[in-house]
Amino acid sequence: MKRWMQFGGLLLVAAAIATARAEEPQPRAKGIESPDYVWNEMQGEKLQALRAKGDAVRGEIAFEVCQGCHRNKALGREDGKYPRLAGQHASVLIKQMTDVRAGRRDNSRMYPFANEHVLGPQDIADIAVYLQALPSDNANGKGPGAELVRGKAMYLRDCARCHGEQGEGHGPGFQPRLAGQHFRYLVHEGRSIRDGERRNADPKMVEAIRGYTDADLDAVLDYVSRLKAVQGGR
Amino acid sequence: MRQFPEAGLRRLARYLVAALAATALGAQAQEAAKIAETVCAPCHAPDGNSVIPNFPKIAGQQPSYIAKQLADIAAGKRKSDAMGPTLASVKPSDFAALAAWFGAQKQAPGKVEDAAAAKVGERLFKDGNEATGVPACAGCHMVNGEGNDRNPRISGQHQAYAVKEILDFKSGARANDKGRVMRVVAERLTEAEIKAVAEYMAGL
Repeated sequence: MKRWMQFGGLLLVAAAIATARAEEPQPRAKGIESPDYVWNEMQGEKLQALRAKGDAVRGEIAFEVCQGCHRNKALGREDGKYPRLAGQHASVLIKQMTDVRAGRRDNSRMYPFANEHVLGPQDIADIAVYLQALPSDNANGKGPGAELVRGKAMYLRDCARCHGEQGEGHGPGFQPRLAGQHFRYLVHEGRSIRDGERRNADPKMVEAIRGYTDADLDAVLDYVSRLKAVQGGR
Repeated sequence: MRQFPEAGLRRLARYLVAALAATALGAQAQEAAKIAETVCAPCHAPDGNSVIPNFPKIAGQQPSYIAKQLADIAAGKRKSDAMGPTLASVKPSDFAALAAWFGAQKQAPGKVEDAAAAKVGERLFKDGNEATGVPACAGCHMVNGEGNDRNPRISGQHQAYAVKEILDFKSGARANDKGRVMRVVAERLTEAEIKAVAEYMAGL
């Protein structure tokens, strides 16, 4: 009995410490590991943000809290720790932000800077149109450049149908623009998607790269990192 | 013909309203200068460039930030043993003018005391710490640390004050930050990092 009371006391103390922290744990929603996972289900605040009319002037202000990591003008970091967001499709940005908020995409680092204490659905829409209109450039991090012929063949065979021949992506289909993205980020995400760790992935995408070795991914993403997409794309 | 005097009266009325408003604003600014001298100067110095490291420099601080802190302290949302009782003698209707008055003063430069720590702080300030998810301070406070209408100036600040505030955010003793953002950042910072970044900020 005493031990149970001690245990209860410990729990209370733990709860008090947990509530004292400003940093809340990211929630966890069903993802690709779940049999009833529906990719990109249209619901909740994602739908609200997609329907809202974004304002780029407000978006630039709302983005301030993001640029400590994604950098001014959202060019991201070459080391791949923080992706480039400039020029990305607004729909893709809205999906990813709301997936992090809902816990479909695991990112405990980002969560406290993008949760409901900081942003609402309108802010998300504003940030998305601001970022979509920002120019990307060709100074992104590239791969070693050793297997570009093989990489190109794989890209055209397995990736171009959704992501576009120039890596421009497809906004209405929520397929991200890849051109201009940092190589190291592409590799990190590519492996996570292949290995089922990126829980908000499109199962079609997982299927497309299921048989890829690390070397295959490196080759195709090296090629991708050198694509020069037209601003905006489809 | 009947239109003329009416339009003339309207013009006159507009002029009178503007003149009254200008006088009122002028009077408020004068009142603010008087409050600054009598109520604030003992700790913050007459021009807001406090020489006591525990009390912040408020010269050149963003007026929106000063006004919010005054309101928060008055409402008990930000606890301050020194400011709480002092502020009781100031009317909330004077907060905006007071904030504008101190914001318009020129900040005296700070001084780096530990150059090695400042170097570590510079990296944190500009790049953050990706291993622990600390964003760059420059993201919100701007590269030169002067802040903007939404985020305070942190450049040139006394190290002792800056360290205490960030530690208070870390412990939750200070909790009047927007969206909990500063508390989360402070929770992810180590004490050594806090000291380092305060050194760098002092020299900005």
